[in-house]
Amino acid sequence: MMPTEAQDTAIISMNNIVKSYQMADETFYALKDVSLSIEENDYVAIIGPSGSGKSTLMNILGCLDAPCSGTYFLGEQAVASLSEVELANLRNQSVGFIFQSFNLLPRASALENVMQPLVYRFIAVKERKRLAMEALERVGLGNKIHHLPNQLSGGQRQRVAIARALVTKPKILLGDEPTGNLDSQTTLEIMALFDELHAEGHTVVLITHEPEIADHCHRVIRLKDGCIESDVRRQAHA
Amino acid sequence: MLNSPSGFAMPKSLHAVWEGTRAALHSIRAHAMRSMLTTLGIIIGVAAVIAVVAIMQGLSSSITQQLDDLGSDMVTIRAYTTQEDQLLGFNKTLSYDDFLVLKSKVEGVEDMTATMQPFSFGSTVSYGRNSVQTQIIGTDSSYQNVVRIYPEYGRFLSESDDLRRRRVAFVGTSVLKKLNMSENSVGEFISLNGEWFRVIGIAETQGSIFGFDQDNYIITPFSTMRSLSGDQVTRNIDIMFRPSDPAKLPEVQEQISQILRKRHNLEKDDADDFEFHSAEKTKKQFDSVTQSVTLVAGGVVGISLLVGGIGVMNIMLVSVTERTREIGTVKALGATPQFIMIQFLIEALVLSLFGGIIGLILGYGVASMLTMVMPNMPSALVPLWAITLALGFTTAIGVIFGLAPAMKAARLNPIDALRYE
Ligand SMILES: Nc1ncnc2c1ncn2[C@@H]1O[C@H](COP(=O)(O)OP(=O)(O)O)[C@@H](O)[C@H]1O
Ligand SMILES: [Mg+2]
Repeated sequence: MMPTEAQDTAIISMNNIVKSYQMADETFYALKDVSLSIEENDYVAIIGPSGSGKSTLMNILGCLDAPCSGTYFLGEQAVASLSEVELANLRNQSVGFIFQSFNLLPRASALENVMQPLVYRFIAVKERKRLAMEALERVGLGNKIHHLPNQLSGGQRQRVAIARALVTKPKILLGDEPTGNLDSQTTLEIMALFDELHAEGHTVVLITHEPEIADHCHRVIRLKDGCIESDVRRQAHA
Repeated sequence: MLNSPSGFAMPKSLHAVWEGTRAALHSIRAHAMRSMLTTLGIIIGVAAVIAVVAIMQGLSSSITQQLDDLGSDMVTIRAYTTQEDQLLGFNKTLSYDDFLVLKSKVEGVEDMTATMQPFSFGSTVSYGRNSVQTQIIGTDSSYQNVVRIYPEYGRFLSESDDLRRRRVAFVGTSVLKKLNMSENSVGEFISLNGEWFRVIGIAETQGSIFGFDQDNYIITPFSTMRSLSGDQVTRNIDIMFRPSDPAKLPEVQEQISQILRKRHNLEKDDADDFEFHSAEKTKKQFDSVTQSVTLVAGGVVGISLLVGGIGVMNIMLVSVTERTREIGTVKALGATPQFIMIQFLIEALVLSLFGGIIGLILGYGVASMLTMVMPNMPSALVPLWAITLALGFTTAIGVIFGLAPAMKAARLNPIDALRYE
């Protein structure tokens, strides 16, 4: 079941995306002709076995990687035509990344980590602090702003990372197995946070291989060997 | 929505420099020990050159001043024997007759005097049971006008002292001190090599130049010395004069050359067998020594800064590798390659400039300590040009050697950087 009709409200639309890697003796296709559109305020899980191309797809979605062929629109922006600097700015303006291993800057405090994306926006320090405080309070870490990453638990680190993704008020939040390094209790807390963010109007796309996490989402896209195997819209949960 | 950049207080590049500086200082502080070791090459290089320059400049300014005090107008004529002639056993001389002729014939000279150092006579002076070595000079009353040496007590040699071969002595203050004589010892008798001389004057204290005591001498009448030590000593004398107008010195020297060449029967192609020495000339020679030492020091600093720069580059490359994942992360957050480039460049710059400043302070400290410990050394002096040059050089080193690591960081592919283990 593949909804192919292009929607006017689509925030992401990909057509015939191919990503291949030239190996020693052959060309390896990590993504084979993927077409996909995501509407504003959608809540999407991308699932599939390891090596099926989930991260590759996510990196292209986040403008970190360029496809070999196919077109990709993020909002109105045709990503393929952008220069490196424009791509950096687009990542800064429109995408909030959340990584499996948090990827916080180790020598910077929680507050400084959350302020970091605003550095590239040329926002004054005072304003940066205010926005970062706001984001940290949003994820429930208003009392830990001066802690270094290694003074925080895994769940807290991921909250900092989420605050950092939120602080720029991006078009989409992208999480590549954001709970992959967390225990089940913390996973539940983080997923509750994503649910809230979605409810507040954010567009959320999460990679996972855990069915319980996919259960939180409204749409589940299953990848297999670089192809979309299924794309299911589900009823919203209670 | 805050999707458009706001708060453009500074231009973007300046902002990147400012943020880069913050980040660089942060990272240098986080690795204080490593940063210190990294810049050690630069610290040592700059410190070494600043120390050398400081000592040389201190010396140079004090020497120049002292030479000026001595009077750069005074000129000494001395016999000059080429090395070949010396090996063959010939020794050129200036005779007392040369002096008499010059004194009577040369125009444009304020005064002229002949001096001799009667080495055959010895150089021991005693008073009571004390005796010391000193420099004994035989000369005439004109010496005072030429050398500008004045009595603190008593008087200088007079013409009649010389005419009557009086056994009188004009004494430098160091001699008095060494002999335990009182400050005003005019009228006392001292013994020069067993002959009694009456002290008629005590000189004003000159101090020391370059560590050489300028007050350790005894001046006696020329003719007295000649009669005591035989004609031998007057075979070669020094002639000193002071031109009436320093600007006319070349013409005066020309007159002297012509007279002496004629008297010494020199052919047209023969080189002079005498030469002129002046404080001016000494100053020039000294300046050229200072210059070459400074140049050598410059070469040393060039090499050590090169080594230091390679150290900075090395550690910066390590730091880029270490922070690959961080670089990937900030690229995902929207850092442009230019921004990352500036940040790493500034880090290299701050590192090497930091080394330059520490080296400056250290070098000045070492120079000051050395000049304090060594006797008769003038205090160290760091000229502004040396500071400017040292800091300018370290800045250039930082930029040049920071460029490769900064470019490496800026060019990292975000995906590869994020995956880096
Ligand atoms: N830089 C690369 N060079 C070669 N092969 C790659 C590269 N990146 C990813 N791949 C391959 O692409 C496939 C999909 O990878 P990925 O998207 O990370 O899978 P997933 O995230 O679903 O586990 C894998 O088989 C992987 O080996
Ligand atoms: Mg993956």
